[in-house]
Amino acid sequence: MNTQFLMIGALLVGAAAQPLSGHHSFAAEFDASKPVTLKGTVTKLEWANPHIWVYLDVKDEQGSLQHWQCEGGPPNTLTRNGWTTNSLKPSDQVTIDGVLAKDGSKTCNARTVKLPDGRSVFAGSSGGDNPPPPKP
Amino acid sequence: MKKYFAVSLVAALAMGVVVPLLAAGQQEFRPPAGPTPRTPSGKVDFSGVWQKPYVPDMTKSGKDQQGLAELPFTPWGEAEWKKYDAAEGDYTGACLPFGMTRSVNTPEPMQIMQSDRYFAFLFEQNSWFAVVPIDGRPHRTGIPTWFGDSVGHWEGDTLVLDTSNFNGKTRLDTIGHPHSTELHLIQRFSRPDLGHISYEITVDDPKTFTRPWKNTRTFTLRPDWEMMEYSCEENNKSLWEGRIKVPKYPK
Repeated sequence: MNTQFLMIGALLVGAAAQPLSGHHSFAAEFDASKPVTLKGTVTKLEWANPHIWVYLDVKDEQGSLQHWQCEGGPPNTLTRNGWTTNSLKPSDQVTIDGVLAKDGSKTCNARTVKLPDGRSVFAGSSGGDNPPPPKP
Repeated sequence: MKKYFAVSLVAALAMGVVVPLLAAGQQEFRPPAGPTPRTPSGKVDFSGVWQKPYVPDMTKSGKDQQGLAELPFTPWGEAEWKKYDAAEGDYTGACLPFGMTRSVNTPEPMQIMQSDRYFAFLFEQNSWFAVVPIDGRPHRTGIPTWFGDSVGHWEGDTLVLDTSNFNGKTRLDTIGHPHSTELHLIQRFSRPDLGHISYEITVDDPKTFTRPWKNTRTFTLRPDWEMMEYSCEENNKSLWEGRIKVPKYPK
């Protein structure tokens, strides 16, 4: 069994066990009604609790580079899901599906990351607590 | 082992989808089988690293957990629930202590260590702990705290932890169900076999609810996991950049 095969297996098995983060209220910071897809180049990965942060440069419709940042899960959870500090590296081309922050900044909560090899992996989103239904 | 990984890989690639999301349910961790372990003194031994279901909303039910859909709010409790907005202040996002219920609710594992005198929760979430005397001593009195004051006793093979004296600064769950300083929790632990804990928590708070209510859960032994350090403050960008606010508590 080669190393790559093991790593993918670990991603699958671990993901079934540890899917989410409970650090903060998702609804306090992000707007679940504003999905976003960002296709760009990774510039930095911050691997620290309580959440990893992925920084990426994304070209807007006019072709100019915009600097984005996206929150993922806690390193502990992601480690159990098979992630490592090398899972994303500067210059990697990725596509992140997530939702936008409420404050209008170029910030997102990453649900999935499509890696350079084509696999889409769960990013350990904190979105386990969807916004409550409207209160009468 | 080879077959296990091979099946996972083939299934995922064949579907061409987000791997871990759809893998959930396809691969079920199986804890070791065996009889209920006991301490040298004959008590049920709850020691181990435990996987808990993530319970961001205690009114919902899901895998390994049963909630109560309609909470029996008092008028005060209903008003507290209606006015809650985490965007105005999110104490866990600010790395303040989660308190007892939200620590147990987290998806991060917890380790239990136990002697004849003490039962210790070691929560991975923010590396917090709670130590509970189980030797029959009464509740301490003193300044109310985030985790409250817990004591435990045995009812046959069930360990019952009783917690009160909360400071009222926490919420019961991530979505923000309220409680008051009159909160009284009863947590019941039993271990039907080596691999599982049956857990029941009763929320008793006469200021917030007209009657006590329960959640039940199953915890799974994870001998393949070790507890990891979790510093909430290390990179809490969301707080530093103003997207999460610290709640304003009366002083």
